[in-house]
Amino acid sequence: MRRGWGALACAAALTLAAAPLAAQEKTGNKPGFTLAPGTATIVLMRPEIAVGAQSTGGSYEPNADWTDQARENLGRALAEAQGKLGNRVVTHVEPVGQGAATAHEYRALFTALADSVITYQFFPGNRLPTKKRGDSFLWSIGSEVAKLPGVQGADYALFVTTEDHYGSTGRKLLQVFAAGVAGIGVSAGVHKGYAGLIDLKTGDLVWLNADLAMGGDVRTPEGAAKRVSQLLEGFPGKPVEAPVAPAAPAKTAAR
Amino acid sequence: MKGLRIAAVGLALVAAPVLAGNKLIPAGQPVAVAKSVLTVTPSVEWNKLGARPGRNSETWTFDGDALNDLTFYGGIEPEQTLFREVSKRTKPLPRVKATMLVTDIPTLVENSYRIALDTPLFTVEGMEPMAFAGKPGIRFTYSFTRPNEDLPRKGEGRGAMIGGKLYLITFEAPRLHYFDAGVAAFRQVANSAKL
Amino acid sequence: MAGWIIAAALAGAALGAGASDRLAPLPPYGAAYTPTTVDERGLWQQADEAERDLRDSPAVVRDAALNAYLTKVLCRSVGEDRCRGVRIYVVRAPYFNAFMAPNGMMVVWTGALLRLRDEAELASVLGHEFGHFEMRHSLVSFRRARTIGDIIAWTGVVSPYSLLPVSLIRLHFSYNRAQETEADLMGLRYLTAAGYRPLAASHIWERLMAEEDATALGRKRRVTHHYAAGFFASHPTELTRATYLRQVVGTGGEQGDEARDAFLTAMRPWRATFLADQIKLNDFGGSEYLLGELAGGQWTPDLLLTRGELYRERGNPRDLVSAAQFYQQAIDAGCTDPIAWRGLGLSLLRGQQGAAGRAALKTYLERAPQASDRAAMAMLIGEGGVQ
Repeated sequence: MRRGWGALACAAALTLAAAPLAAQEKTGNKPGFTLAPGTATIVLMRPEIAVGAQSTGGSYEPNADWTDQARENLGRALAEAQGKLGNRVVTHVEPVGQGAATAHEYRALFTALADSVITYQFFPGNRLPTKKRGDSFLWSIGSEVAKLPGVQGADYALFVTTEDHYGSTGRKLLQVFAAGVAGIGVSAGVHKGYAGLIDLKTGDLVWLNADLAMGGDVRTPEGAAKRVSQLLEGFPGKPVEAPVAPAAPAKTAAR
Repeated sequence: MKGLRIAAVGLALVAAPVLAGNKLIPAGQPVAVAKSVLTVTPSVEWNKLGARPGRNSETWTFDGDALNDLTFYGGIEPEQTLFREVSKRTKPLPRVKATMLVTDIPTLVENSYRIALDTPLFTVEGMEPMAFAGKPGIRFTYSFTRPNEDLPRKGEGRGAMIGGKLYLITFEAPRLHYFDAGVAAFRQVANSAKL
Repeated sequence: MAGWIIAAALAGAALGAGASDRLAPLPPYGAAYTPTTVDERGLWQQADEAERDLRDSPAVVRDAALNAYLTKVLCRSVGEDRCRGVRIYVVRAPYFNAFMAPNGMMVVWTGALLRLRDEAELASVLGHEFGHFEMRHSLVSFRRARTIGDIIAWTGVVSPYSLLPVSLIRLHFSYNRAQETEADLMGLRYLTAAGYRPLAASHIWERLMAEEDATALGRKRRVTHHYAAGFFASHPTELTRATYLRQVVGTGGEQGDEARDAFLTAMRPWRATFLADQIKLNDFGGSEYLLGELAGGQWTPDLLLTRGELYRERGNPRDLVSAAQFYQQAIDAGCTDPIAWRGLGLSLLRGQQGAAGRAALKTYLERAPQASDRAAMAMLIGEGGVQ
């Protein structure tokens, strides 16, 4: 990749801007992969969480209070959900020294991997021909991941990323204006969520939920619970649960 | 007028991934690449991306260009840049020269990347003579990071100056798993290059 | 002082209310401060995250001696009370920049270290940035920027350098003109109190302007005396700045310590690397100007060698002839770096002087038998196989 914007980033930007997101897939798993409840140990990697506001001009302004709230709420929601995933989930203990740099590199690689899955498999207009065959889902982080400090003893690793930019009133007005007058799709808000499961024996990505327009206002406990339930929807091995009552409409994520 | 043209190019960069479409490169068949007389015969199948880095180049991949990127440059002429300039005014790229020696090829790649990606973190690790498309050429290895991505990458290139034009094939991937996983397939493609 | 025609109105406008308290003694410093408002906490958190990224980043130069030197200069410049707790990061970036984030992290780009001439200039830059920090400028402008950003929709942040997290660059952009002037004057107070030569401050801007003009000329663009857009848009016009800095300093400007030798000694291990980063920018005009400034009439072997690299990089037929001359001059002046013979050989070869070129490359191989490109160079000589 030599361009400031790779084809990857462009397609992602297009995805944000394009109005109809309904056609896009959001989940993939390795064909034939199953995970029976009570059979495995899963290590939950440190989630990447960022929350802020999006001004009219589109610039991102971080909000410490929101991020703190989100980290707390998402942390609690994940802890609750952990127990209901059908298998034992332990939190990854961050290594120190060289191990920390390697863990950092793996998280960066996971993000690149998830981005690539969205761009070149989920996004219908852009699918790579070799990824189009039947129900193929062949993605990997490499088998060396088994050597990452802190994952020994687990069978799978769960990576989670969320990023939320809440659109301001000005931004929403601009969205309406741009759509009406110029026919341009302007995104209001960013609500990115990735959850991916890696088989630690092979490095294969056996399951991925990845959506650039997630629901649930992560600043509130109910919203965070909703976000986590979306992130972990269809998680392999999760027992089927009773439908949850919808969250209060006033606090759902802006789109 | 120039401004309009740059805007059109920029748009092409954005529009291409969806409109142009990605094609399958089947295994075992010779194929002309980069809109040039350079042909290769891959022994495994690849995907060819709809987006091109420049007029006489094209990119192949297995899993997406951020995970593996095989790029062909087919006959870049003197006074041309290696790939499209983002801003000719503020970030002009170095240009191919007719007098270039093969040992200047890694430097052209290095400086083009340093400028286009805004990073001094590009190192040419080594270079050695190796024939390319039957002509005296060069093989070189490099490493770079796009710092706001924090994912170190490795690269390998094979190329030559033939008839006063630059022919080059590069392969880049994250150094974690992906470079080693794909480099053998790259070397096979580079060895099969013919003019 | 002589030679400058100062527009009084200009200088007066720039100084504003600050003129009356010029070079007043420094106020007492209260170090303990925690952010209280939502905006400020957001900025600090952003800065904390950026600092966490920097700590792991390969873009940071981790040289204990270099960092110790910068810390020493900062502490002399602003005093021990103020410099305690400041974390300095040297970032590998071939442009002039330095800034301080609200959480006490200071970042200096290697392009600044290449362009500064002595310790007084370094002190003035570090002091200026500390001035922003001490006066807590960023908070006020962060709020204001939000409103301006709301009015100008679709204006992307065009940063000429994406090395740092975008959030950090945005922090730096958010100073406005009045704040830059305040920080300049604050910096002068530090300099004077520390015993450095205060005129150092204005010299930097004069050279930066001239370099920017040289870059523009080299790219066949119009010459201006202030950056047109983007990165330095919020800074006062460099001309104005150089002007009022000279004015405020008055006649005592040339007295004081510049500590040139100490500075050059500290930079010596890194100079070749910084010069190489500069040459690879494809900015012929700016680099040529900068090399001339660094030489100051006395072309040392390493600067001659770099000039050769610069000309060979541009690579037009006449450039190759000039490059060969510069490499030869470097060798004659006592350069022992094998790169000089490599550059000479390659320039001659490209200039159709085969025999002389091959001879120079032979010398390169003799002097650098372990070079990573030896096989390739041997091929050019005709020794060693093609495949």
